[in-house]
Amino acid sequence: MYKNIYYILLISSGTLFANEESSYGWNLPDTSINVGGYLDMTYDTKREESFLFNDIAVLFSANKNRFDLLAEIELSHISLDGKSNSSSDIDLHLERLQLNYTLNDKQSIEIGRFNSDIGYWNQAPIPILQETTSRPHIVGNFFPKLITGILFRQSINEHNTFSITFQDNMDIAHQERFIQVNRHKTFSYFGTYGDFSWRFSAGKYRDSRNKNVIYRGIGSEYEGEKLSFQVELFRQNSDKKHEKPYSGYLQSTWHFKDKQDAVIRFEKYKDNEIEIEEQIYLFGYTYRPTNNTVLKAEYIYHTKLPLNHYLYSFSVLF
Amino acid sequence: MIFMTLTIYSRDLLVIGNQDFPENNLTIQEIRAIFLDKKRFIQEEKILVMNYAFQDPLRQCFEKNILEKRERTLERYWRRAYYFGKRPPKIVSSVEMLFSYLQRVHPSIGYCDSNVIENRKVRILYRIGCDF
Repeated sequence: MYKNIYYILLISSGTLFANEESSYGWNLPDTSINVGGYLDMTYDTKREESFLFNDIAVLFSANKNRFDLLAEIELSHISLDGKSNSSSDIDLHLERLQLNYTLNDKQSIEIGRFNSDIGYWNQAPIPILQETTSRPHIVGNFFPKLITGILFRQSINEHNTFSITFQDNMDIAHQERFIQVNRHKTFSYFGTYGDFSWRFSAGKYRDSRNKNVIYRGIGSEYEGEKLSFQVELFRQNSDKKHEKPYSGYLQSTWHFKDKQDAVIRFEKYKDNEIEIEEQIYLFGYTYRPTNNTVLKAEYIYHTKLPLNHYLYSFSVLF
Repeated sequence: MIFMTLTIYSRDLLVIGNQDFPENNLTIQEIRAIFLDKKRFIQEEKILVMNYAFQDPLRQCFEKNILEKRERTLERYWRRAYYFGKRPPKIVSSVEMLFSYLQRVHPSIGYCDSNVIENRKVRILYRIGCDF
């Protein structure tokens, strides 16, 4: 146990004082190759393995002319209670592998395995990039988190962008916990105006059981000096038995001190597949001692399911 | 009147490119796109973009008046951009370093106080008033 903590501190210490955004990662001298990553540790009062390394990920990026390559290899689920006693508990996998080609200032094409361009949360799906450690119910339940396919992105002007994605093949890596699909089409629009932004996303996928699903969602974000808000609402249609009529959340972040935030999230969802309609309330505190580290504590209260728990985390981007 | 004009200009921030930068001037939208890694090429050539350290008053002026974003928002933006493989502008530790890169790398872009521009072989692409 103490040995594990020692290793954590050793890994983290080199990155704790990095305050400039350009200090992320390590740049191979005289090349465009950058190697970095992130790690997340959590302590969950409800989980059997309460103290867990959720993710240790290595990010590799490089570019040449108009091509950009990005790879993410992730090692997840390492118990720090000594409960991950066999290699089968630990999961090493390719999270993302994407090649981007910039056609011009307004258009780009992406191929490979990449984050679905759907909703707000999925654009920053790791704890270091979010104000809370836990994710809203929408994530992982309404659309596939990742796509193995091709994406075309068009910027209409400085404030408006849309993208279209196609997948007509199996995933190139396994997707534990998330929706498995072999066909997926999406459309996504993103707009901004000052401190406000908004998103509209819609898509259709066929999962590994050959079930056809249609989903659509809207969301908006406001980033103010003292307060920020994020709201998303999704609906999913398939056969009646598996339908998810709605899932939405409203998250408010109060930047009450430099580097310290208080977060409240209210969620409500209905899921016919597990026959439940409930609300989830979250109360959280976030402290960012440096630009690339974050400590979080939150309490999550479910109105129906017996899943109330405290969750603590420490995340580093390096 | 002359004194006043000089005083105002001495507080200007200039966005500058290398001497033979392919454009004579840029719009504020184009500058924003370049410094946020949304526009990376100019006439098929990749642009070297330079910025100063966080605490630099010039950078604070640039972020407030040109990028029109708060420090917190930009920190968040670059954390997220890094996750998608993007890199922020190169940090230069001094104006001399900026001019040195502008001389050697084409096309390259940065910004400086209008007071330090005299006798420098650079192209002024945009000018904006600042309260340093």
